[in-house]
Amino acid sequence: MPAGSKGRVVQVIGTVIDAEFPPDELPEVNNGLELDNNGERLVLEVEQHIGNNWVRCLALGPTEGLRRGDEVTDMGQPIAVPVGRGSLGRLFNVIGDPLDNLGDVEAEERWPIHREAPAFEEQETSIQMLETGIKVVDLIAPFTRGGKIGAYGGAGVGKTVIIQELIRNIATVHSGYSVFAGVGERSREGNDLWHEMQDSGVMKNTVLVFGQMNEPPGVRLRIALTGLTMGEYFRDREGQDVLLFIDNIYRYILAGMEVSALLGRMPSAVGYQPTLSTEMGELEERITTTKTGSITSFQAIYVPADDYTDPGIVTTFGHLDAVISLERSIAEQGLYPAVDPLTSNSRILDPIIVGDEHYNVARGVQQVLQRYKDLQDIIAILGMEELSEEDKVTVARARKIQRFLSQPFFVAETFTGREGRYVSIRDTVRGFGEILEGKHDDLPEQAFYMVGGIEEAVEAAEQLASEG
Amino acid sequence: MPNIREIRRRIRSVQNTAKVTRAMEMIAASKLRRSQQRLLAGRPYADTMVEVLGHLAAQSGDIAESGHPLLARREVQRVEIIHITPDRGLCGGLNSNLNRATGRFMLEQGVPVSVIPVGRKGRDFMVRSSNDVRAVFVDMGDRPSQLDTLPISRLAIEDYESGYADEVYVSYSRFVSTVVQRPTIQRLLPVEPTELEGSLSAGYIYEPNSLEVMTSLLPRFVEMQVYHAVLESIGSEQSARMVAMRNATDAANDMIQSLTLLMNKVRQDTITKELLDIVGGAVALEG
Repeated sequence: MPAGSKGRVVQVIGTVIDAEFPPDELPEVNNGLELDNNGERLVLEVEQHIGNNWVRCLALGPTEGLRRGDEVTDMGQPIAVPVGRGSLGRLFNVIGDPLDNLGDVEAEERWPIHREAPAFEEQETSIQMLETGIKVVDLIAPFTRGGKIGAYGGAGVGKTVIIQELIRNIATVHSGYSVFAGVGERSREGNDLWHEMQDSGVMKNTVLVFGQMNEPPGVRLRIALTGLTMGEYFRDREGQDVLLFIDNIYRYILAGMEVSALLGRMPSAVGYQPTLSTEMGELEERITTTKTGSITSFQAIYVPADDYTDPGIVTTFGHLDAVISLERSIAEQGLYPAVDPLTSNSRILDPIIVGDEHYNVARGVQQVLQRYKDLQDIIAILGMEELSEEDKVTVARARKIQRFLSQPFFVAETFTGREGRYVSIRDTVRGFGEILEGKHDDLPEQAFYMVGGIEEAVEAAEQLASEG
Repeated sequence: MPNIREIRRRIRSVQNTAKVTRAMEMIAASKLRRSQQRLLAGRPYADTMVEVLGHLAAQSGDIAESGHPLLARREVQRVEIIHITPDRGLCGGLNSNLNRATGRFMLEQGVPVSVIPVGRKGRDFMVRSSNDVRAVFVDMGDRPSQLDTLPISRLAIEDYESGYADEVYVSYSRFVSTVVQRPTIQRLLPVEPTELEGSLSAGYIYEPNSLEVMTSLLPRFVEMQVYHAVLESIGSEQSARMVAMRNATDAANDMIQSLTLLMNKVRQDTITKELLDIVGGAVALEG
């Protein structure tokens, strides 16, 4: 259908807009439409054809001031955003307009945000571990280069902090390009991130796209696709290894839920859209590694009411290679990052990939912690005294391990007052291995709190001892 | 969110634990009464024994020179400890406190130490910390007679007389009150009779003579002390268990309460969620 066919607004329901077009000039589904809303350009996206030459559209911008009869124009193609080197160092909104007041974007190409996921034969899974410098992540849920990693957690347990620490530790040493998509999170955080990236000098290799909390649901539903499309260009055309950060993927689901009923779909379990897994698949299946290049993605996933059985959460689980779950009970103990070592896991925690030592230590740590958890009822009822000697040792080690799993973050220096630590995977495995072996049974458990490598714990113990 | 069945299972398991601990509390309470009686009944005898020994000591002059083997002080080259603990656990910190105190005492000696553990808990501790275990006495029961403790004191006396050990101590939990039990370490041998004030010591004539009476009395004194320590230990055990089990029952009940609260919350959440789904669905169908 040629671009430029004109239609008229016939119904406005909040963020969903119906428009009527001449019978043989209906815009295709997913096409962008634009209209002039009192001098502001508003972009719509066609979602459904509902009969009578009407199309139902989603507004990607505020709809205040719209009236029936306003003229809409078919753009003739889906919303396309600038891709390529010209987009690097820039900050975009959902329709690819720059937000950073740095002038026009010099991009030779614009790619539509709706694309096919790579076919089976194009996909490739390289199995190589990606070091993050975060002890608990490297040990329990090692990341794959080119894999998908999710950070689950309820409100305020530190998802964004973990994502930002990952950006600091990986993106700053990473030579390829990074894309950060802010989906429905705090605008302030987006602003902070932008300034931080400029200061650390990684901005020239980074693209930021933001559709934050203040934006209408249509924006939050499409912003992840915008970011992803920019990443896909580097993967497919330039064969790069791209890092894609999405904070927060759950807002994408939530936005879909907000518009679902307006689009006339019957709500499904817990009020979610009936198309939940389709929508999730459309996004997640595109984030993948192909023969030409790779996308390593880090996704923060908000868990509503700390309920991991929520359908929205369950749908995302299956797409991920590694999952780190952040637990409120751990955050409440002041142990940050509040990663739960018993529910976090990774596909590549396998002796063939990470090596026997790493595998055994990681499983050993989980065993000790699981045993401690099992014993907790007994301790609560009968007290520590009634445990057998063996169990007492297990409990002491488990408590040390719990503390040693905490780590000061670079991005959280202002909160913890401690300088961040980057711990190499070898030091991590060695440290936990030594605790499991019982080498440090004589050190007090506070010595293990918020330190980097095991040597620091020993130093801290000496300092504690000298202070008396 | 934890599921209801899981929580219900945990509640049931905690409930069972609470039943056991409550029963144990009651058993310990009744046993405590009996062992307390025995303990109190033994005290006048023990006091009189000390008194008589004091008299004798005062009358027979310098007792160290009397040459009785149980009074002989020697240079200490080996110490022996009779370590009296209960056979069973589930009595709070009683065992570990006593074991720790005795362990520390043994480290302070600076000479080789042999142990005679009485009771399983002490035995396990001593064996685990690889001490020199001379002999083991277990299964003393709740109501031992002096006949049961006799082999222990005999062994100690023999070891002392033969020169195997130069000092013998006894360690046990002293029954102070139902809530306080104190780890106590006392010297058993050589015996050091406390001399009483002169005014009291006069007026007795011993037949055939005081030295001979003392000779036959001293082993008794040691036997009596060991027996008494065992009784103290049993009293402590029962009272410690009673208190520990009461605390455990309370803790279990608290836990049941919070788990029940959680379960009800989860249950209501689930119902609300389902209601919302049904209502939402119905409204959507009407519209």
